[in-house]
Amino acid sequence: MGALTLSVLSTLLVFVVIPVGAIAVIGGLAYAGGERGRRHRRYRPGRQFDFQPIWFLAAPEKVAASPDGGAPSDGARGSHAVERREQAAIGSGVIEDSSGARVLPGPTGGASDRW
Amino acid sequence: MTVGETNEYAAPDGLAALDGPFTTRQLLRLDEALRVADRQTGLTFSVYMGDLEEPVRAHAEQLHKQLDGADRAVLIAVSPNQRVLEIVTGNEARKRISDRDAKLAALSMAASFAGGDLAGGVLSGLDQLATHAGRS
Repeated sequence: MGALTLSVLSTLLVFVVIPVGAIAVIGGLAYAGGERGRRHRRYRPGRQFDFQPIWFLAAPEKVAASPDGGAPSDGARGSHAVERREQAAIGSGVIEDSSGARVLPGPTGGASDRW
Repeated sequence: MTVGETNEYAAPDGLAALDGPFTTRQLLRLDEALRVADRQTGLTFSVYMGDLEEPVRAHAEQLHKQLDGADRAVLIAVSPNQRVLEIVTGNEARKRISDRDAKLAALSMAASFAGGDLAGGVLSGLDQLATHAGRS
């Protein structure tokens, strides 16, 4: 024989250290890149939906201040919205009731559904 | 002017949408859908997602009133906890989107929501409403 002689050290290196290293690297990458914490973010019917209410609008500046008395939460955008609403109210003669809510000239339409 | 910019219901930093139930890709598609719908129809579409106070319809109409030019605005209010969906059309928008059209859109949205697909339902509802409204 004598064709291939490996010392104990190189045997360990080739058959144990290198495979374990490779497994550790791949496992680490998979763990780091996984979408942990995202899985439960999906909405499932019947389960609690405990996200903050959110309002999507193509042009966010089109939302006036909340009519139930308060300026929206602090921040420049909020005060800006109030300012805009006042300007609009003066300019276009928008009717507002005592609480500051805008009074619509006509009824609204639409539809409702449940699931 | 991205969908991440929201009003007082969310954190003012505009990143609150990223903590919501949608992935970034879904948010981008929603943003695009809203902008296309607005541009094509000349109406103002908006989507509210969160709890609604009882009576639900009245609360949705109150939210709708907060929109600038409310009579040309269309609000889709979705409350996943109450499993309720309200579409509110303003006085002008109502002439373009009849209540029957709105009901049709609501039906298809509710079908998607029942399958757990919030983003898909909203997208298809927006698409249907914008199609019914026609071009401005």
